[in-house]
Amino acid sequence: MSPGPGRDDDRKGIERELKRGSLELIVLHLLSLGEAYGYEIVTTLTERTGGALEVTDGTLYPVLYRLERAGFVAVRWETPQRGVPRKYYRLTEAGQEELGRLTHDWNTFADAMGQLLRQQPERT
Amino acid sequence: MNADQVYIDRVIAQLPLEPALRTQVEMELRSHIAERVEHGQSVEEALTHLGDPIVLAESYLAAIPLIAAPFWPRAAARIIDFCGVVALAVPIVLVVFITLRTVGKGDLAYFIAPVLFLAVILVLMILAVTYPVIAEYRYGKTVGKHLMGLRVVRESGARISFGQSIVRQLPMLTQVWWIDMLFALFTDKHQRAFEILSKTRVVVAREEQS
Repeated sequence: MSPGPGRDDDRKGIERELKRGSLELIVLHLLSLGEAYGYEIVTTLTERTGGALEVTDGTLYPVLYRLERAGFVAVRWETPQRGVPRKYYRLTEAGQEELGRLTHDWNTFADAMGQLLRQQPERT
Repeated sequence: MNADQVYIDRVIAQLPLEPALRTQVEMELRSHIAERVEHGQSVEEALTHLGDPIVLAESYLAAIPLIAAPFWPRAAARIIDFCGVVALAVPIVLVVFITLRTVGKGDLAYFIAPVLFLAVILVLMILAVTYPVIAEYRYGKTVGKHLMGLRVVRESGARISFGQSIVRQLPMLTQVWWIDMLFALFTDKHQRAFEILSKTRVVVAREEQS
């Protein structure tokens, strides 16, 4: 039996959930590379993952807002001579610690999943 | 009006009436749209990347924890609002009584005063029901809730719609309103039955949260 459209939806749903669950880690990691503004974060993520991980602005900005409120990210506004002020984000010390915690959690989870999926079915 | 301004206004309209939050979100959105435009994209493309304005507003609000209003401050707010209506009624009742005592039985005022009295009481009863509907829809709170540091929001934290505001007050038109209120004692988020139905809740206002 061929996988129907429902299976594709399920797969997309899992991908979306995985992305949502790891978005804070992704953003904190990208900001650990240096200060950046919103559009830069979106394009850097796409470039560094060869397009495998993409986020929309509508998903990213509320996460940045959440990280800012939590004190993991500090912001500064840069006002150009012409045009709209630009908001830059950088990691704080608390953000660095959070990044360490989330990276550890992610690695533990990824290791456990890898270990599980490498197991072969037992033959009787 | 420009497409970006229309979009930003739609996002802002979902947020509570808090100038600091609204200004921050508006500045951010303006900045993020400008970033894409500076990189050669159209405003329409930038707005597509931001997605549905209501979903975006709710995503922003998800970052702000909501604290359920305890039962007793809610009850106090309700009593304050009730006292407001009584305070309006008392002077009118007094004027009618004084009029009836001072005028003779043959005077026109003797007949008009009770009719006026009933009309005013009717208006006050209508006001008692419609006031919370309009105040909670427009401002997210009544005077009582304002004084008790509470506000009414959707479950996402966004502003409530007019329809939700009406549904919230429906039990006041019935004789079982007290059963509806009792739900607030036992539900996780201290919600009344009709608040669960209307997907709204009463929370501690932000100034009190911080």
